[in-house]
Amino acid sequence: MRPEVRDPRVALLALATLSLAATFFAPKIMIRRPSFDFLAIVDITGSMNVRDYAASGRPVSRLDAVKAALRAMLAELPCPSHVALGVFTERRPFLLFEPIDVCADFTPLQASIEALDWRMAWEGDSRISAGFFRAIDMARELKSDLLFFSDGQEAPPLPARGAPTFEGRAGEVRGLVVGVGGYEFSPIPKFDDRGREVGFLGADDVPHESRFGLPPEGAERREGYNARNAPFGASAAIGVEHLSSVKEDYLRSLAEKTGLSYAHLEDGKRLWKDYAAVASVRPREAALDLRPFFGVAAALLTFMAVAAAFFAQAFIQMRRAAPFYRFPQPRRSK
Amino acid sequence: MSGFGFEHIEPLFLAPLALLPLLRSVLRGATIPSLLAAPVDGLSVVAGILLKFCGVVAIGASLLGAASPYVAGADVERFSEGAQIVMLIDRSGSMNETFAGRTPSGGEESKAAAARRILKRFVEARRHDLVGVAAFSTAPMLVTPISDHIGATEAAIDAIDRPGLDYTNIARGLAMALSMFKTSQADLSRAVLLISDGAGVIDPKLRDDLKAEFRKTNVSLYWLFLRTQGSRGISDQPAGDDESPQAAPERHLDLFFKSLGVPYQAFEAEGAEATEEAVKQIDRLERHPVRYVEELPRTDLSAGAFALALAAMALLLAAKLAEVRLSVGDDAR
Repeated sequence: MRPEVRDPRVALLALATLSLAATFFAPKIMIRRPSFDFLAIVDITGSMNVRDYAASGRPVSRLDAVKAALRAMLAELPCPSHVALGVFTERRPFLLFEPIDVCADFTPLQASIEALDWRMAWEGDSRISAGFFRAIDMARELKSDLLFFSDGQEAPPLPARGAPTFEGRAGEVRGLVVGVGGYEFSPIPKFDDRGREVGFLGADDVPHESRFGLPPEGAERREGYNARNAPFGASAAIGVEHLSSVKEDYLRSLAEKTGLSYAHLEDGKRLWKDYAAVASVRPREAALDLRPFFGVAAALLTFMAVAAAFFAQAFIQMRRAAPFYRFPQPRRSK
Repeated sequence: MSGFGFEHIEPLFLAPLALLPLLRSVLRGATIPSLLAAPVDGLSVVAGILLKFCGVVAIGASLLGAASPYVAGADVERFSEGAQIVMLIDRSGSMNETFAGRTPSGGEESKAAAARRILKRFVEARRHDLVGVAAFSTAPMLVTPISDHIGATEAAIDAIDRPGLDYTNIARGLAMALSMFKTSQADLSRAVLLISDGAGVIDPKLRDDLKAEFRKTNVSLYWLFLRTQGSRGISDQPAGDDESPQAAPERHLDLFFKSLGVPYQAFEAEGAEATEEAVKQIDRLERHPVRYVEELPRTDLSAGAFALALAAMALLLAAKLAEVRLSVGDDAR
């Protein structure tokens, strides 16, 4: 009357029972899960109002495209991630808030991103390299990665000697320089003192050349050049600074100098992919509920125990049938 | 949002597996020449059905438990004391100086740092407030909308002692703060808490607009004036006939606020302690009944499902262990 312990079904059922019992004794474990912290600095200068993105068939401004992409990206972030938000204009980033838990405070975070507006700008200049370098310092202070959204249009234009040099350590802060804007020139909307849109910037509305510092090479060949009185030539330069496109080469060079990567803004999914490729992963402790796994295991083990008869039968039949077609043998005599 | 739901839906796709025990038993089959050889036994029939049933339950309940069913917690409306508050914070450069008007050195605290410390304590103590944060210098900025997310509000307050910007443009800041109140929540008590260390001249063209907006929104206004020692105060009357908003902006801003026709109170603080005292007073004043919704935690039902599965499984295992060989012939071979 000894129970049949050698029967595999006993073992299967015993395992299933143990697995179910485990749901009561070891319901969860702590695991380290990857999460991401980043500081998003959004350029809100005039050129970001250019409408060269499209959403559902309508033109939307670069700033709106950034907002939409950022919001879509937040939904993709794994849970204990934190996001800080700042705006950039003039020559410095301005931090709106320190890192916020993306999951716990999702709603206010989304609303804050939605509220970004070019009207927050406290000055019209757009000295991108200066603002970008300071944004890197800020990200380092916040122990975050940096996502810097800009179209790369310096206003006023850089002096002839080029952008200021980066004094920090390249690669200390990781992240993305996100180029915003189309590759074709588009007109920049113009606003009056009360914030109403009144057409587009004309060629006469913006300076096309920086006259600070030393004149560029070849200035002496310009018309009306005088080394003392008119080192930049006599006539004002006319360029295309009143039109705007994404200055990818410039942004790429900035990213290279500082050890960040460059990506062009398409949409939230793409942005998340680009960011995830270069992000610093911050493992954080998170509880993992093991009970579903134990439950499924118990169900499968029981199923196998019940189905064992089928398998056994199939196995036996295969064994019986096999000799005949695998190794044809002479007929056995009875 | 009350109701029944599953945390994971995937295990339920395996549910058809639970039907197999109806067709097969975990017990071994025995070879018997004819079923008629066994006498009809009521108890055996019941035991057979029970074991089949146990198999179905063991698989089904395990899967059900794995799907983590829950009953969502109900939203319970409660009443407490608090208000809907917009903190309108001056982020002009002078906020980074001490109350003595110097750049902080050593253990000194800047006005912004003091405001940050005190406001954070204020927010933490008033958990049922709905708080929004706006900043202003030359331009107003919406930082976080009015919400009950304390984490977000604290993150916004944490950022206020970073280097500030240029000017103090109070009129646009106030307009932004007023626009943050939603008209749908008109039954809540509303307050704007203006924290600044200086005053600006409000454009006469905007005065009437602001006044109308204040009356429409029906908010009370608290002005926490972080006064630098030795500078002009709210009540200082300029000497002689130099009586213009440009000469004494603090006094004229105060006069303008008084003319708004909404509950208004100004607090002048010349140091961290005075600021703390003022915030305490505001805390006492802004105590109105507020309705807030508390979400009760959901009830997890998976433990029950697992207990049921375990019971069925135990029966099944017991039956399996009690199994005996029927035919002697098998053993002989």
